[in-house]
Amino acid sequence: MSGPVGVLHPPVRRRRTAATVWAVVVGGVVVAATAGLQIDWRELGQLPAELLRFGTLMFTDPDWERLPRALFEMWRSISMAWIGAILCVVLSIPLGILAARGVGPRWVRLPLRGIFAVIRAVPEVIIALLLLTVTGLTPLTGALALGIAGIGTQAKWVYETIESAEEGTSEAVRAAGGTTAEVARWALWPAVAPALMSFALYRFEINIRTSAVLGLVGAGGVGSMLANYTNFRAWDTVGMLLIVVIVATMIIDAISGAIRRRIMQGPAVNPGRRLVARGGKH
Amino acid sequence: MSATTTPELTLPPKPRNIRQRVLVATGFLLFTIATCIPAIGGITLDIAALIRNWNNGAGLLLQLFTPDFTFLPRTIGPMIETLQMALVGAVGAAIVSVPLTLWAATPTNPNSITRQAVRTVINVIRAIPDLVYATVLVAMLGVGALPGVLTLFLFNVGVVVKLVSEAIDSADHAYMEAGRAAGGSQLQINRVTALPQAWPLFANQWLYALELNVRISAILGIVGAGGIGRLIDERRAFFAYDDVSVIILQILVVVVLIEFVSHALRRRLT
Amino acid sequence: MAAETQPNSRAEGQRPEAEDTSSASGSWPITLDNVGVTYPNGTVALSDVSLTIAPGEMVAIVGLSGSGKSTLIRTINGLVSATTGTVTVGPHTVNGLTGRQLRQVRGHIGMIFQGFNLADRASVYRNVMVGRFSHTPSYRTLLGITTPHDRELALRSLNSVGMLDKVWTRAGQLSGGQKQRVAIARALTQEPSVMLADEPVASLDPPTAHAVMNDLRRINNESGLTVVINIHLMDLARTYTTRLIGLRDGRLVYDGPAADATDRDFEEIYGRPIQPDDQLGS
Repeated sequence: MSGPVGVLHPPVRRRRTAATVWAVVVGGVVVAATAGLQIDWRELGQLPAELLRFGTLMFTDPDWERLPRALFEMWRSISMAWIGAILCVVLSIPLGILAARGVGPRWVRLPLRGIFAVIRAVPEVIIALLLLTVTGLTPLTGALALGIAGIGTQAKWVYETIESAEEGTSEAVRAAGGTTAEVARWALWPAVAPALMSFALYRFEINIRTSAVLGLVGAGGVGSMLANYTNFRAWDTVGMLLIVVIVATMIIDAISGAIRRRIMQGPAVNPGRRLVARGGKH
Repeated sequence: MSATTTPELTLPPKPRNIRQRVLVATGFLLFTIATCIPAIGGITLDIAALIRNWNNGAGLLLQLFTPDFTFLPRTIGPMIETLQMALVGAVGAAIVSVPLTLWAATPTNPNSITRQAVRTVINVIRAIPDLVYATVLVAMLGVGALPGVLTLFLFNVGVVVKLVSEAIDSADHAYMEAGRAAGGSQLQINRVTALPQAWPLFANQWLYALELNVRISAILGIVGAGGIGRLIDERRAFFAYDDVSVIILQILVVVVLIEFVSHALRRRLT
Repeated sequence: MAAETQPNSRAEGQRPEAEDTSSASGSWPITLDNVGVTYPNGTVALSDVSLTIAPGEMVAIVGLSGSGKSTLIRTINGLVSATTGTVTVGPHTVNGLTGRQLRQVRGHIGMIFQGFNLADRASVYRNVMVGRFSHTPSYRTLLGITTPHDRELALRSLNSVGMLDKVWTRAGQLSGGQKQRVAIARALTQEPSVMLADEPVASLDPPTAHAVMNDLRRINNESGLTVVINIHLMDLARTYTTRLIGLRDGRLVYDGPAADATDRDFEEIYGRPIQPDDQLGS
């Protein structure tokens, strides 16, 4: 190119001003929120060292002598989670079906969905706590609380799955002269069953965590043991219990996740040796 | 149909699905039975006691439908603390989550050792329930909002890092190869190519984490970690379910509002 | 049972009714008398359509999408109710039927669809057994119990379309052409007197489309079944069927032998010049 080259001005991005204003406002709110908290911020500097101190207390020499009792309590929590999951699934499948568009009439659907939304919005622990105060603090009532508190989310997954199923298969069964029950059994169920079973297992995974929390407030299981020994400040036992919880949860997550993936992919078909040898055209 | 001259049909062998189904059903049954044996830690199915207790206490639950609004002023302060904790925890986690996510995602961290290490740490963090964190932290640091903020911080980091790193993993990597081909180091490449693409993912999960935080923050007080939870526990212990009902309504309103705002923001940002 | 005859057939060049060779109740004629369909939202899908199809005819209904083909074919088995006029299939008047009677009539009408409408997660066997639903009491279908007679019918239908070696395969693992064949087998298992096909080859590539159309023609030739096919591809309609019915905007605009239909006639039916998309080629 010949001649002098002028300075290049990239076009000004005018959106910047609006974004900056928002950033300042949000930042201001955050700072105000932080300042308003009753926290001694000078302590914050010592926090890493404190956490490290406790970490060593807990994990350098965990209390393995109490391991059998911890495993016993862990199984109690798992049982609570399992029965609670079964209860939740058993309750939420029919309720979810009724709440699905195309199944239930409007005056049934909308109130049901409203109830689910309310149960969903209230934290599970509060629902459980309120139920436990009435029915008593036992693992069975814990399971009951888990079952009821989970309906909100579980039923929503049920009706969402049903509504997203393809209509074509149902139409074909109807066209062949099938009743509504036959449509549900042979067109709808094969399509939604894998997703529903997968959600059921996922509920179990969620329940494992919630059952530990319910134990903290007194329903039994590993949470109760944890609350006790934390009160005693018996850090070596607390460390051991944390390890048990972490390992058990991670194992269950891994197994359950693998099963869920297998369910969604579908079973592999074993063609049998004869078919492989055939190899004809269809 | 006429059957006089039709030949015999040869079927392919039927796959042995029946055996698999029976195994699964048996396993399920055995597992369920094992959860009901008290001797090894299963739960005792004492339905009779359950019904007895229910009949005694059903009146309490009815109180839930008669909220006592004169209680409302006492709930404002703790509610504000709840929201503050939720916000501060989310913001702190948001800052920390960026580098952690980039270390945990395959395209931005080819080093599989550090990547696996970060992922394992995140999985461990996610394996501990929120209230367990709160209980232990309260015992360490004393009652107050600090254990609550830390709990929310840890919970958020677990959620955000896992979800965003998975999203990055399943996204398109082509733009990063271009950066490497032009001779950049990993950090340069990250900063220039991956981050801008990932901002919407981050923003989405940060807002989602904020939604979750509000619900969790409301209960942390039950174990002493600040927020309105302490008030819930106190009123519940006095069987004042009409007061509890007011608190629940308040939580409902706040949760719905935050969800509304959050969804609107997430739609605009992504 | 002998096949029924219609006293007055308005279309010219009708084939004499084919001899019933395998269908248990013979093949039926279809009559639409001033049929109109208006949907609840006010759309007029069909107006004043009258036609008669003799038993054993192979008829193509042609027209653009939105011309009312889907609605027309669904009035025949009652999937869509005719708002005005009467639909007669064999000895039955379809448009007033509900419940059990409707299901019984549907049991004699086989239907295949553009999207195949199989239950992808169920086996081919289970999909084909759907064809026996209207002939079986509910408790048996819901539990999945099959009689030897039903089994025999299902397997022979599969064999006649060449899909017997896939009988235990999950339907979702088949190709499009294979799925449509299974759908045909499902319809044949009903031992139908009428076969309806709603755009059966629109989702298939040219070679497979020709193969499926061949199958339909073969069924019509061998068992004398009345076949009605919705199709928007001109060359396939002309090649494989003997009579064309043209619809445009819900009205009958053409009714005559397939061999006599010229390109000009098709332009009339479509209401626009012919485009390359209107032909499949090979």
